[in-house]
Amino acid sequence: MDNTKILIVDDELIMRESLAGWLERDGHLVDTAASGEEALEKIKESRFDILLVDIKMEGMSGLEVLKKVNESDSDVDVVMITAYGSISTAIEAMKNGAYDYLLKPFDPNALGVLIDKITAHQAQARENLFLKEQYKERTRFESMIGQSKPMQEVFDLIQDVAPMNSTVLITGETGSGKGLAAKAIHTNSPWCDGPFVVVNCGAIPKHLMESELFGHQKGAFTDAKETKKGRLELAHGGTLFLDEIGEISMRMQIDLLQVLEDRIFYRVGGTQPIEAYFRVIAATNRNLDEAIKARIFREDLYYRLNVISFKMPPLRDRKEDIPLLTEHFIRRFSQETNKPVDRISREAMDEMMLYEWPGNIRELENAVERAIVVGKSRSIRPEDLPIFHPEHLVCVPGNTLQEVEKAHITETLKENQWNIARSSKILGIDRTTLYNKIKRYQIKKPA
Amino acid sequence: MITPSDHSVIISPVEALDPELSKMIGNEILRSFGLRTETKPLLNDVAFALDPNRNQHHSTVILKKLADLAPAGAIRVLAVTRVDLFIPILTHVYGEAQLGGKACIVSTNRLDEGLSVGNRETFFQRIVKEAVHELGHTFNLRHCQDHSCIMHYCRSIRDVDRKTDQLCRYCRILLADELKLLSST
Repeated sequence: MDNTKILIVDDELIMRESLAGWLERDGHLVDTAASGEEALEKIKESRFDILLVDIKMEGMSGLEVLKKVNESDSDVDVVMITAYGSISTAIEAMKNGAYDYLLKPFDPNALGVLIDKITAHQAQARENLFLKEQYKERTRFESMIGQSKPMQEVFDLIQDVAPMNSTVLITGETGSGKGLAAKAIHTNSPWCDGPFVVVNCGAIPKHLMESELFGHQKGAFTDAKETKKGRLELAHGGTLFLDEIGEISMRMQIDLLQVLEDRIFYRVGGTQPIEAYFRVIAATNRNLDEAIKARIFREDLYYRLNVISFKMPPLRDRKEDIPLLTEHFIRRFSQETNKPVDRISREAMDEMMLYEWPGNIRELENAVERAIVVGKSRSIRPEDLPIFHPEHLVCVPGNTLQEVEKAHITETLKENQWNIARSSKILGIDRTTLYNKIKRYQIKKPA
Repeated sequence: MITPSDHSVIISPVEALDPELSKMIGNEILRSFGLRTETKPLLNDVAFALDPNRNQHHSTVILKKLADLAPAGAIRVLAVTRVDLFIPILTHVYGEAQLGGKACIVSTNRLDEGLSVGNRETFFQRIVKEAVHELGHTFNLRHCQDHSCIMHYCRSIRDVDRKTDQLCRYCRILLADELKLLSST
């Protein structure tokens, strides 16, 4: 959660174990791989922030691992580990995109400083992404759309829950509209005249989180040039929406629990207690029960948040809403792009109805936006949806949705030369989900 | 039969340990963890862990042996040694612990850096801090970003002097969770 995820790649067991032990005590999540091949498998299965790779290994060398990682378009930073005498290879590795190298055995200070440096630069990148997302969020908060039974049930729930003061936990897949549901609860609640303050717990760098939530006094730390109100304070009289709550650090979980219990907190560097009253809504796509079992999420906080909970249905379970959503997005994007697109062809809609939409509404939104941008007529046609390929989708009775999804992913990867970042963006899913699907469907990269 | 080891942390000196230092470590463990201690040498010699090429002792190897030798029911074992410790990937370590495990060790070898001969007070304070720090790891505490917390990872001996002998409030809560788990098992 607040931990940096590190993969150690070394064919010497003793090196893997000693480095893993040290890094775990330093608070990081650590995994190990005994070969380059095993490392690449693990990278496919889950996301890592840093790779520590021994240059000299049996089989695939560290340099080859670096090359493959670069090809995968992953944003992991690679640090090469080398013995004295192989520095020239390490320098070559840096020319090929490695972040840095360490000469083993290394001074614990050198390792600590390097890890701090990398995490700081990655936090900066995440912050930039968050700011971009915040900008996009402004246009994403619209009224919720859906006539399907699962959505009618959600609307009923929101109606019931909104007037209460209870904390709400919303679960559901990425892109299923958890943020929209939270906003809808706020709009229909007695807090609706107050602010709706969003905290994306997964996107705010951990070193900024405390100051973002609680605010800070002028001079509390080097960059605190002015006193700043935190988001808890800003949420006073309104709703605090804690998105991606499953990503919050153990330290912040402790603080947050205390605030939820006492409603009193202090700005960083402040001595005056601040009281704030707001309604709390939290959302996550994680399985918090599992996170509690893994002891990365506090059970007491979970019970504090999970007073009322409901799950947002994935789009594949409410396909009858696709035409309505598509129509809504056509209207919005044709206005935004100033293009006279006002409908979708029956064939294009048939394909949309066949697809499973693993990225849910966000993927549908991206698909419509793209179709309007590339389309040449007033109507969206199948060919305007380059992610759909009729010859592979094979709208033949008997094809399962899984077969259709596999064909679609394979085609998208092929079109984008297996650029994972680009393909996942087009598909409207995150890279980890894409890697999992590649694995599940056993899609092989052409030699 | 319940022996004193059943409910205490064993302080295991590898070489002769100054009784005053032993008492200081014991008092600090009692204050920070609420656990009483018993001084009992479990290992008299750590030559089995010596790496002749580096002329240092491999702390992980010592910890394995120490955990094996821990009396049944002893809560944790903390070894104190004068030898210089290392783990293979690093040049040296002040100590090592089995994260969430039974054993930990602290070396006094480098903790006298920059001290004039006879400055026992600071030397002992450093040893106590590092001993409590390593013991904290056996209760699943990770390095803490708070510079004054005893679980803060010290990059230099100056950092050891700078940090307090206290756990920060976060680490206190996390330790309390661990101790609650321990008492329920």
